[in-house]
Amino acid sequence: KRKFDPGTQRFELHKRAQASLSSGVDLKATVQLPSGEDLNDWVAVHVVDFFNRINLIYGTICDFCTESTCPVMSGGPKYEYRWQDDTKYKKPTALPAPQYMNLLMDWIEVQINNEDIFPTSVGVPFPKNFLPICKKILCRLFRVFVHVYIHHFDRILLMGAEAHVNTCYKHFYYFVTELNLIDRKELEPLKDTMDNKDHHGHGAWIYEKR
Amino acid sequence: MAMTEQTPCFPMSNHTKERVTMTKMTLENFYSNLITQHEERELRQKRLEKVMEEEGLRDEEKKMRRSAHARKETEFLRLKRTRLGLDDFESLKVIGRGAFGEVRLVQKKDTGHVYAMKILRKSDMLEKEQVGHIRAERDILVEADSLWVVKMFYSFQDKLNLYLIMEFLPGGDMMTLLMKKDTLTEEETQFYIAETVLAIDSIHQLGFIHRDIKPDNLLLDSKGHVKLSDFGLCTGLKKAHRTDFYRNLNHSLPSDVNFQNMNSKRKAETWKRNRRQLAFSTVGTPDYIAPEVFLQTGYNKLCDWWSLGVIMYEMLIGYPPFCSETPQETYKKVMNWKETLTFPPEVPISEKAKDLILRFCCDWEQRVGASGVEEIKTNSFFEGVDWEHIRERPAAIPIEIKSIDDTSNFDEFPDSDILKPMGVACNHPETDFKNKDWVFINYTYKRFEGLTARGAMPTFSRPRK
Ligand SMILES: Nc1ncnc2c1ncn2[C@@H]1O[C@H](COP(=O)(O)OP(=O)(O)OP(=O)(O)O)[C@@H](O)[C@H]1O
Repeated sequence: KRKFDPGTQRFELHKRAQASLSSGVDLKATVQLPSGEDLNDWVAVHVVDFFNRINLIYGTICDFCTESTCPVMSGGPKYEYRWQDDTKYKKPTALPAPQYMNLLMDWIEVQINNEDIFPTSVGVPFPKNFLPICKKILCRLFRVFVHVYIHHFDRILLMGAEAHVNTCYKHFYYFVTELNLIDRKELEPLKDTMDNKDHHGHGAWIYEKR
Repeated sequence: MAMTEQTPCFPMSNHTKERVTMTKMTLENFYSNLITQHEERELRQKRLEKVMEEEGLRDEEKKMRRSAHARKETEFLRLKRTRLGLDDFESLKVIGRGAFGEVRLVQKKDTGHVYAMKILRKSDMLEKEQVGHIRAERDILVEADSLWVVKMFYSFQDKLNLYLIMEFLPGGDMMTLLMKKDTLTEEETQFYIAETVLAIDSIHQLGFIHRDIKPDNLLLDSKGHVKLSDFGLCTGLKKAHRTDFYRNLNHSLPSDVNFQNMNSKRKAETWKRNRRQLAFSTVGTPDYIAPEVFLQTGYNKLCDWWSLGVIMYEMLIGYPPFCSETPQETYKKVMNWKETLTFPPEVPISEKAKDLILRFCCDWEQRVGASGVEEIKTNSFFEGVDWEHIRERPAAIPIEIKSIDDTSNFDEFPDSDILKPMGVACNHPETDFKNKDWVFINYTYKRFEGLTARGAMPTFSRPRK
């Protein structure tokens, strides 16, 4: 693969992109609702962007997340996630991770494609239950992080994508805590694992900083 | 091609590998853009505060301005979630053609605003295997915001094409103007060259080198003032811009005796007859390219001033100095400019004009502008130019337009089938380039102003099993 010659525009871009993934960047400042602006619109654009990126991240490991590797959707031995919806799974149901992920992604996609929930025309108001729906979406997206970090982080490392995933998680964490969109309780699973670090000595950024 | 380091080897299907590369690249770009956008947002806020301070507004007025500003920012957030597509525009007319697609006058259905839409065929661009080029330059270009560069509003893509929505310049392009007129007067030439000097300087100040200044890329706005067309898209794609295209040519003197022996009138006629074809071909023309650009030894921003010299020659003489029957011959003449750059005695021009052309078209070490743009501006050819206000004053040739969608300054082009998927798909089976779509992944671009949007949400790329 080709390297970029220092001094060229592409090299500059490459450097810039790399730098923005490094911890030097103040992502925390970027998630605060700018004064005077609409909270719903702010949340909406973030939710859609997070969905797209987390979806992509899961896409890179989904070949390795199968019914046999992950017969139950979980985040380590302590946390098991059950799926529930209004159609097929009226009761919380334990499912293999890939199946759970598919349902999860499909469900979110339907929500954000729904103009009544995520209006895209200027002037159309958001529904009253918009924030509760977003909280649910974010809570479910967080579980994707949990599963990827605890069960598939070795793949992420092999792909050399840990900076990418860490940055995305960091951004996500700042966003949901800044605007109080996820229960602290939900965030627990990653707290534990990140503290211990994995066998490569890679912990997520958040506890490295402490 | 991706901006990522090499992925370590472990058993992965090619498909997965490509997905990994795409994901990494997308995330890198996302975070790079996020930071830029955050900074820009803060800058806009600061600018607002500064303006209000300067205007000495009362607190109450400030409050109102601030909330109006916040509302605009929120609208932009909406815009980011929407996606314009081909369906949102009515295609009115083909107004230009290039090597990789065409330019159409379009109207946004909901607002009625008129734009120019540049359509680039992905397959054609992939064949040239230079797409990386496009992206990198485009990413930076998007930040350029200048009176002298055509404004870009929005871009999107579908399976077949990339689409750029930009401001429509009803005055047409310089190439069309030059083909309509035999030559320009010295006064007209002074005006266009002076404005182009400022335009080129403005992109130099942003840190770009254009490398492909030619009359086709000089557009005229509704008042007849110059703007550079969106650049960096296809530059370097055309064969004529690549040294290897000429590799097996020796640098012996040109041999198109036929052409050499024509008088300037015949030359101009021949040139004009071939001109359109040259503009549409993927080979392109090396007529305006500085000799050092072809050499492996490197070049700098001064190469753009050479191109301007060639254009100035063409304006006054009626054809560019190195024009020939074939790009290869032209290339030879450019490389041998010391012998081939001559002025036909039957088309007299002023000494000042001749002198400036020779100051533009010379070794770059000696070229005017080497010590800065002031050196160009103070050249005696530009005597009397009001550099500060040239853009506000009447243009040398006023443009007459009857309406915002008047296309009378453009040539007629037959309607094409570029927008009809089937027509194109037959020649390029979709499978050929579908897998490479990630190359264009961060192509879409939205500008903070102008368009209000409606339409469908993005499509997602999660692989289905
Ligand atoms: N914004 C615009 N408004 C009006 N006309 C335009 C605009 N952009 C392009 N055109 C017309 O379309 C023609 C072709 O456009 P352009 O030169 O950008 O395409 P191209 O030839 O494919 O690109 P390149 O210059 O890289 O070869 C121009 O010469 C001009 O006549």
